[in-house]
Amino acid sequence: MFKIFNLGNIFFWIEKLIGFINSIFFILLLIALSFALIFSPPDYLQGDSVRIMYVHVPSAWISLASFSSIAILSIAHFIFKIKNIKLITKSIAPIGLMFTCLALVTGSIWGQPTWGTWWAWDARITSMLILAIFYIGFISTHKLVTDENKANKISSIIAIIGLINIPIIKYSVDWWNTLHQPASIKLTGESTIHSSMLMPLLLMFFVLILYCALIFLMKYKTEIIRIKKKNLKRL
Amino acid sequence: MIQNFLTMSGYGLFVWGSFSITFITCGLFYLKTYKTLKKYERDFVKEINELSSERKKLVIENSKIASQVLSSFSKTI
Repeated sequence: MFKIFNLGNIFFWIEKLIGFINSIFFILLLIALSFALIFSPPDYLQGDSVRIMYVHVPSAWISLASFSSIAILSIAHFIFKIKNIKLITKSIAPIGLMFTCLALVTGSIWGQPTWGTWWAWDARITSMLILAIFYIGFISTHKLVTDENKANKISSIIAIIGLINIPIIKYSVDWWNTLHQPASIKLTGESTIHSSMLMPLLLMFFVLILYCALIFLMKYKTEIIRIKKKNLKRL
Repeated sequence: MIQNFLTMSGYGLFVWGSFSITFITCGLFYLKTYKTLKKYERDFVKEINELSSERKKLVIENSKIASQVLSSFSKTI
């Protein structure tokens, strides 16, 4: 049963998945962009600047989801000591950092016409900046620490400590008085976003998730080849 | 209508700026990841080819990954 988790089998499926995502990606991107930029209506208060949300919100969701998965996988690595887990977390981290930066930058661009400022030391924005710092810490540990076991341990600790920041980001808008508005989309309870805006938002999220999957698979494949290359030298 | 689409009722710079930054960053990141992957594949194939024929045969027989990389690399050439 566990043959499926064999690196050779994983490698085979990675190739197939990359091909599949490449074949559907651009069509889905075109559909999502058409909805985000043309078909969705402007907001009654924010006007057309609301369209920035279609890249800002998915970026923020991806950055939070990436870090949560890195932290959970790091806990699993501490318990089960499976080397493959570290290859996965190493491949996810740069994607998470990129989307955290995109969320901060697009949020800042949205803030200028809406709040009249590019930046505010608001609880949500500051905690997102801290998330970026945790990502940088995680990635630079792997770059700077030459002993792989030590690097894995330090990066796991960084990820687990950083996990505390995730609920702070999520609930910062409820706990403190912030410029940032509360969540419009709720998993439990009624969402306050109209379906004409929810649709492009979910479409853009889906397209960016596909993009993340593509990058993750390529990075994971690179990591597997790196390990195999190392083993080749040991022969 | 087209002008309205481009100016986004005065928010054009912000909207187009956000979308451009997002997609240019994603594109550059994709290119960098793709190039790194190809570099690793090329180096891996080169190292396998530098092995003695006996060892090379052994590696290909025992490593599914090595044989897959070799075959996909020969396809791209």
